[in-house]
Order: sequence, then structure tokens, then C-alpha cells
Amino acid sequence: MSRLKYSFILVVTITFLFQLVGCKNDNNALPFLGNREIVNGDTIQHTVPDYLLTDQDSQQVRITSYGNKVFLADFFFISCPSICPKVQKQMLRLYDRYKDDSRVMLFSHTIDQRHDSVTVLHRYAHNLGVDTGKWKFFTAEKDSIFALADDYFVSVVDDPSAPKGFDHSGKIILLDKNRHVRGFCEGTDPESVTAFFSTVDKLLATEYK
Amino acid sequence: MPQNTNSLIGFNRKPLQISFRSLFYLFIGIILCSYSCHSNPYRQGHELYKVHCESCHMADGSGLGKLIPSLDSSGLFRSTPECLICLIRHGIVKNELTGQQMPGNEILNDVEMANLVNYLRQEYAGETKAVTTDEVKTCLATCKAEE
Repeated sequence: MSRLKYSFILVVTITFLFQLVGCKNDNNALPFLGNREIVNGDTIQHTVPDYLLTDQDSQQVRITSYGNKVFLADFFFISCPSICPKVQKQMLRLYDRYKDDSRVMLFSHTIDQRHDSVTVLHRYAHNLGVDTGKWKFFTAEKDSIFALADDYFVSVVDDPSAPKGFDHSGKIILLDKNRHVRGFCEGTDPESVTAFFSTVDKLLATEYK
Repeated sequence: MPQNTNSLIGFNRKPLQISFRSLFYLFIGIILCSYSCHSNPYRQGHELYKVHCESCHMADGSGLGKLIPSLDSSGLFRSTPECLICLIRHGIVKNELTGQQMPGNEILNDVEMANLVNYLRQEYAGETKAVTTDEVKTCLATCKAEE
């Protein structure tokens, strides 16, 4: 066999191996969800805005004030008679799994500013029996919370025909430390949340290498 | 000295033979028996629980922290059924400790209410004495009188 043939086979083999490794890496990485923009040749991923929020202890905070953490977030309201207790139960599972992992924080945003005051949120957190240093319960102006939900890709709308006037989805969203949306699960489905554990673990493994 | 005791009583016994088929039927019988012993017979009650109660009390009745107490720990099912019937019908306006509400259910008819109450009492208190629809009717009339 000529040297040219050997070279050709070598090049094809190396190219194939690179492709294989490249594909494998792509499959392992969590996707960035949402629209991306190209600015001056740089790819800008969708980012959840850093709104000023008020927590259950009346502290005004921004997500960035918690530093380089991974965040799990949902949208709920306390008097919700439909999906919220189930979603919060699954948030509680996530809390129990990551309560000793300082890289993870949980956020629950109320969409009912009229009834869920700071005092009510504080009492709710207390009766849920969670550490509010780890799991924050946020409120803000209604427009801000609804816009924030939109950026988290969680559907929240006023709907007079829905129970208590709100229609919203029960998704639990995973944010990386740069506030990019990297995954989600259906908070009403325990199996979806069980599968979500490995998504969170994967993000932690890649974010804190 | 006779060697075979069977011959003393006048017949020859064959050694006990248990076929695989007999064992199989025995096994199925045990499974069915244990299932019927432990399963809750109030199927409509269970379906009603799924529709009207499960979203807050969860499929396994475990609730949510102190906000929605676990049904397993509730003594309500072991007390007289009247309290439970009234609670389901009229709910809790506001729990003083947690601030939580429990919405009342106005749409269950007497038969459905009896089935739901019987399901709950059987499931969470092992209470096998069934509540009748007449008892539900009488109880709800008393509840109304107390309002």
C-alpha cells in the first residue's frame, strides 16, 4: 500500500475519532434554553434578569447577591387549591436532597401579591419547616414577578375562570450560576423530579469542576 | 411386629403427592386473599379522594409539613365520623397556627360523602364500620344547624 493511502486512512480515522469525542461531549453538556443572540461575534445566552426581590424576612435582594450558586426556582401562591401543594412537595424533596450542599439554593416566587405578604410568606416558610437561608420565598411588584416568570419560561397569567384567579404552570426551573436556564422538570410529577436530580447533579459537576 | 402401620388400620396410603398445579393455585389463592384482606374496598371513595383531596393532601396522604398535616397522624379518622363529614363539607376557614385554609366541598352528594368518609376511615384508621348515607344526611343537617 502506498504512503498516500496510509496517510489517507490515518486522516480519516483521526477525523472520525475527533467527531466521536466531540459528539460525546455535546451529549453530556446540558443545553442553554431560550433564544441566544450573537453580539460582535460572541454568543449571548438567554439570561434571567436580576430583579430586586423581597424575601420572607423583608430583605431586598438580587439573585447575584447570593454569589456563584445553582438555583432551583418555582412560582406559586399560598392559597392555591390546585397544583401548588404538589409542586412545593417536590421542591421539598429537592431541598432535602441538597440542603447540605452550599452550591444550591431554592427560590419560590409568589404570584399573589395581594394575599401573600412578607408576613404570610414568613409564616408559610416556618410551617414548611425549612431553612430560609437555603430556600427563599420572594415577592415583588406583580408586573415584575410576571415578567420574571416569563424569563424563567414559566406560564403565569390572570385567569378569572381558574381557581383563585391564576393560571400557572408547575415547572421547577434550574438556573446556572450565570442565571442561564439549563433545565426544568414538571413539579407535579414525582418521577420527573426524580429524573431531574441527575440533571442538577450534572450541572453541579460541570459548573464546579 | 408389623412393618407398615398403614396395614394396621386397613388401607394403604399413597405418599402425599403435591403437583406443581396445586402449588400454583395455592399461591394464587394466598395472593388474592392477602390482597383482599389489605386493600381498601371503597373504590369510589378512593376515586373521590383523588379528585377532591389529593392535590393538597397528596396521593399518600403525607401532606406538606405543618401546612397540610399528614392524614396518617390525624386522630380525626378514629373519632366519630360526624366531625369528618362536617369538616369535608364546610372546610376550615383559617387555621390559627398556620394561616392555611381548607376549602369546603359542597358538591359531594350523600352517597359520595359516605364513600369518601368510609375510604378515609378505613385507609388511615383501619376503621371497618361503615357510615351509611342516612347517617351522613343526619350529620349534615346537624352541621347546618350549628352554623
